[in-house]
Amino acid sequence: MTIKRMTFLQELLAFMGLEGRLHLDWISSAEAQKFVQVVTSFTNKIKSLGPSPLSGGFDMSAIMSSCEAVQGTANVVGG
Amino acid sequence: MQEQVREWLEQGKVDIFLGYKMIQGHPLPYCFTKENLDDISDLIVGKARYSLEKMATKIAAEHNELKIGLLTRDCNQRALNVLYIWNQLNPENIKTIGVNCCPSKLKEHGDCSYLEPEHAPPVKKMIGIDNNMDVKIAEEFGQEERFSRWMYELQKCIKCFGCRDICPVCFCKECGLEHPDLIATGSIPPEVPIFHLVRAVHMAGRCIDCGLCEDACPVDIPLRLLYRKVNGIVSDVFDYTTGTSADQSPFNMLGEEVTLKPKPI
Repeated sequence: MTIKRMTFLQELLAFMGLEGRLHLDWISSAEAQKFVQVVTSFTNKIKSLGPSPLSGGFDMSAIMSSCEAVQGTANVVGG
Repeated sequence: MQEQVREWLEQGKVDIFLGYKMIQGHPLPYCFTKENLDDISDLIVGKARYSLEKMATKIAAEHNELKIGLLTRDCNQRALNVLYIWNQLNPENIKTIGVNCCPSKLKEHGDCSYLEPEHAPPVKKMIGIDNNMDVKIAEEFGQEERFSRWMYELQKCIKCFGCRDICPVCFCKECGLEHPDLIATGSIPPEVPIFHLVRAVHMAGRCIDCGLCEDACPVDIPLRLLYRKVNGIVSDVFDYTTGTSADQSPFNMLGEEVTLKPKPI
């Protein structure tokens, strides 16, 4: 059941654009090497992803400008 | 229909009947009783839509033997199924009169008028999420754009709790969203995106896609789209169809054969 809940949450976060920051694995207390390997690779992944876009508060102006850049237009009229 | 309600009330098949009555020009939910049979001539059916089943739940919580009749559209019926499953209403005490939903392009035999929402204004289309958008299209945006579009929508929230209050399948006595240790208080918008993600998770296996939340939302957050996605995942991962499945949602069960594998890092 845990795996289903986690899969659910991973997909929900991905839908919001926060994929890859949640990981689940089973490691027995006898599997020291697996623990090291999982923690190391996940740490490396998080480092490569950089800080969470949610960290340091929420900056709407950055979002507005990035969206405008994505849309390739700066003039928003009406609304 | 009025005759049937009158008959039910007179014969004691139901103690109260929840329907709509025109009050000062507005079609509002109204409780018809045996004591005021004359009122029944004011019973109307129109486009107006409220969670009559939610009112029934609240009434049944205080008077659990009361027999309640109500008008139901398709969405009300799905909500009733969920409420029965979760033991919030006893199906033996509920009698329904089905009424047709309002016609729309989406449903041949008519559906609620809300299913064709207004066209999104240009700014919303450009940097937000169009409420009419298909889930698949919302998934196709690149990661950063998807994130910023959703954050644009969620930061509009004024924490009015309208989505929760109107929701026919929100029945918890204490709401986690109002718990100061779980969701910080004192600022607007409420914690983005946690506030809405908490609600989305709670809607998994519960939401019956009536769209009342989105209808109630004063800032037009595409909640219905979000909950559709959530129920899509529930259907894919748990093989559970909300509103028609006969069991409680799999979120509160333990132990079954594992068919999934953990995702690679």
